[in-house]
Amino acid sequence: MNTLVVDQVSKIYGEGDQQVKALDQVSLEVASDELLLLMGPSGSGKTTLLTISGALLRPTDGSIQVGGSELTKLDDKELSKFRNDKIGFVFQAVNLIPFLTARENLLVVRSLGGGKVDAGAKKRAEELLDELGLGSKGDNLPSQLSGGQQQRVAIGRALMNEPAMLLIDEPTSALDSELGRQVMELIRDEVKNRDIAGIVVTHDERVLDFGDRIVEMVDGKIT
Amino acid sequence: MNLAIKELRRTPGRFLPVTSAMTLLVVLLTVLGGFLDGLELSQTGSYRAHEGKSWAFSAPSELQVRRSVIDANTRAELTDSEGVIAVGQLSQVTTTAGTEEAGLDADALRDVVFLGYELATGVLPEPPVEGVVVDQALSDLLAIDIGDDLLIGPNAEPLEITAFVNDVSQGSPTVWASTESWRAVLGVMATDLPPEGASQVLIIEADSSGVLAPAGVQIADTDEVIGALATVQQQSSTFSGIIGVTFVVTLIVVALFFALLTLERILQYAVLKAIGANTRDLLKTLVTQAAAISTVAVVVGIALSFIFIAFLPPDLPLRIEPYRLVVIAIGTLVTALLGSLFTFRRINRIDPAEAIG
Ligand SMILES: Nc1ncnc2c1ncn2[C@@H]1O[C@H](COP(=O)(O)OP(=O)(O)O)[C@@H](O)[C@H]1O
Ligand SMILES: [Mg+2]
Repeated sequence: MNTLVVDQVSKIYGEGDQQVKALDQVSLEVASDELLLLMGPSGSGKTTLLTISGALLRPTDGSIQVGGSELTKLDDKELSKFRNDKIGFVFQAVNLIPFLTARENLLVVRSLGGGKVDAGAKKRAEELLDELGLGSKGDNLPSQLSGGQQQRVAIGRALMNEPAMLLIDEPTSALDSELGRQVMELIRDEVKNRDIAGIVVTHDERVLDFGDRIVEMVDGKIT
Repeated sequence: MNLAIKELRRTPGRFLPVTSAMTLLVVLLTVLGGFLDGLELSQTGSYRAHEGKSWAFSAPSELQVRRSVIDANTRAELTDSEGVIAVGQLSQVTTTAGTEEAGLDADALRDVVFLGYELATGVLPEPPVEGVVVDQALSDLLAIDIGDDLLIGPNAEPLEITAFVNDVSQGSPTVWASTESWRAVLGVMATDLPPEGASQVLIIEADSSGVLAPAGVQIADTDEVIGALATVQQQSSTFSGIIGVTFVVTLIVVALFFALLTLERILQYAVLKAIGANTRDLLKTLVTQAAAISTVAVVVGIALSFIFIAFLPPDLPLRIEPYRLVVIAIGTLVTALLGSLFTFRRINRIDPAEAIG
């Protein structure tokens, strides 16, 4: 069963002379428990594709379905709820909330959109921190964590609400190869164990063996 | 989990400037309010001493005590009216008071308002048969005590002080005598006293049904009489203007601050939106922070005001009234909420895709 169906999606940024065609009629499908690696030169549209798949950006044209819902038909409020429930996003710049501890950075996902941080949420946060090797770092602020640890907190945050899809932008670019492999291993385990669809954007030749499938983008098109 | 409070606690430095600015504005509001109340209350003590009573003026006097004259017939008519329990005369003149020890040089004499009255009130005792009841404020200006003689009027008539009362000033301190003593002391000098048997106004104690005004008489309650005092009206409109401007400044400070803070936090808001924060979450954060900041500013500001006021010269007419503090607290809170809401449109427009960066 395909969790993500991208059909003939185009994205044009800007107006008039400034127009940039970032995506050009891209079609793509990702199954649950499949880990897709998205590669390609800088500026080829990888982040744009990820952002549109994650309901953070609307396409100029085409259709996106996640778990059967057509994203282009949802309004902003519905999209915000959809992101909270269904999407786990790890941004290229890690972007943890700086004044929250590692644990709170996970829990905050539960408290948004009218949710409550209940015992179940706390239990899940502890489990994720343990799985991510951050069991002893729960009370640390992001500024007290290394780059790799911050990255893992961000992955934990993305997994907190048991998403249907995990979208990760260049997770290893800031890490050395040992840590990079560890993080990829973890992402693959999560995708396999939790039956979710995963897309990882990467430049990193060293991690290609972790993906089920590799897709190349050039100039806004899938090759 | 309360994001807003966590942010306040863990990055207090970020909120220090606006909290300090608001605290100083609260000090300004408290001190200005204290002057407004102090000035007004020091002008109206003799009126407030009759709180709960009705006042009868001759109709053309427009509630100005010294322009009013009520004759003996009107008094008799009012006394017999339905619902009236007691009626007493009240008249006043401005004159001087002094003491034997201080001497009768012009600069040893004090301006006083000298009143003749008949009815005891919650504040005023029964008029003494001989002697005078004296405003406590006069004892700050003259070395006087109960049993001393106060020399009143141009002829320095000696009258024994029988009691002091608090908070009865009318711009100047007041001195109270029975109608008879009042007339006796002033009789010689007075061309503009009300005629024998008449008084300037009447104070009426009535049951709850109210008093029907006879022809040519205007009945008013104490608040209306105070409202008709020209100096009080001018002062309160001046001060209310300044206080209003201070609130506007507060609004601008808070609005600007939150606008700047929002610029600093665009990425943070974008991330929150990207992970599912809706409009309500963001609004809650903003409102909680504005409320917390103004609560701190109000508490600290009022405490600082008391310290500041303690260092001011004691003869300044400054009074801190509880109701004024409540108005300042609520006003500051509402102003801060409004100020923070100006940025809400901006926050609401932040694109979650900005979190990608
Ligand atoms: N917000 C934006 N506004 C205008 N142009 C953009 C924006 N984001 C990306 N682009 C342009 O779209 C193209 C694809 O960008 P992106 O999806 O970030 O590529 P990649 O992640 O593969 O480097 C690039 O030419 C980039 O300059
Ligand atoms: Mg990119």
